[in-house]
Amino acid sequence: MELRKFFLMHIQIYCVLVTLIFAVSMVFGMIYAPEENIKYYQLAGPFIMAALCVLPSFITYFKSEPTLKQYIIRHIIQLTVIEAIVLLMVQPPDDMEQTFFRLFLGSIVLVVYMLIKLAVWLQKYLQSRQLADQLRKFQSAVIQNEE
Amino acid sequence: MQIKITKTDRSKPEYVEIHCYTVNDDVQEIAAFVKSRQGLLTGISDERQYEIAVSDIFYIESVDNRGFIYTKDKVYETRQKLYELEELLKTKHFIRVSKSVLLNLMKVSSIKPALNSRFTAVLFSGEQVVISRKYVPELKKALKG
Repeated sequence: MELRKFFLMHIQIYCVLVTLIFAVSMVFGMIYAPEENIKYYQLAGPFIMAALCVLPSFITYFKSEPTLKQYIIRHIIQLTVIEAIVLLMVQPPDDMEQTFFRLFLGSIVLVVYMLIKLAVWLQKYLQSRQLADQLRKFQSAVIQNEE
Repeated sequence: MQIKITKTDRSKPEYVEIHCYTVNDDVQEIAAFVKSRQGLLTGISDERQYEIAVSDIFYIESVDNRGFIYTKDKVYETRQKLYELEELLKTKHFIRVSKSVLLNLMKVSSIKPALNSRFTAVLFSGEQVVISRKYVPELKKALKG
């Protein structure tokens, strides 16, 4: 894949990620800290977090076709780096236990990561359906021409 | 080898005749080229030569510099190179879908997503062929006609 295409694809992922971080923060905030007030500058958090999470994606860039093993290994490294960045950046609230918070945050990152992968896969699935439709039309046109 | 082209009367059939000392690889390659222009490819199976109708071919694969022709239930070896076949068969709805595979679009029943921007073509025979991401734009272009 060309680096330009890869870059554009990751800008898309960045936008999805910002939305998902906002959504996850909203849901968990409503559950665990419904009385908490947030400041305007804290709204920048999801943008910075998403940027830091997208940067490790460049580990998954391949100029030529990767093997399945290479593909899986690079994605595991990517997830590990993202988890490390998030766990180092976000500090637990004073009234929350460290281990619980780390496990909780780690699971959120994993869920968001899986959701992103699912969104990308869904996009590909729709693209494959579109290709299959075009293929059927192409085959019908060829058969009609031959008749 | 000298080349002689003679015009013939329309009432007689057109034919290509090769006069050679031995039927070597070069001669067979020329014969295979002429046959492929007529919608036939020469394939070898069990040390016997067969003429395969292009419309019966599902895909052609190159493995370790050897070409293989896949039909519904048989595999034949071919002496022709993949790039030569690609050139010959591009008007017969064949398209390159990876570095080593030429696919007959008329034999594809569906297209599924695969890992890392790739797709999988499911053939009417049930076999699956990987479409590399590099060749996806060409596939889209071919399908749009």
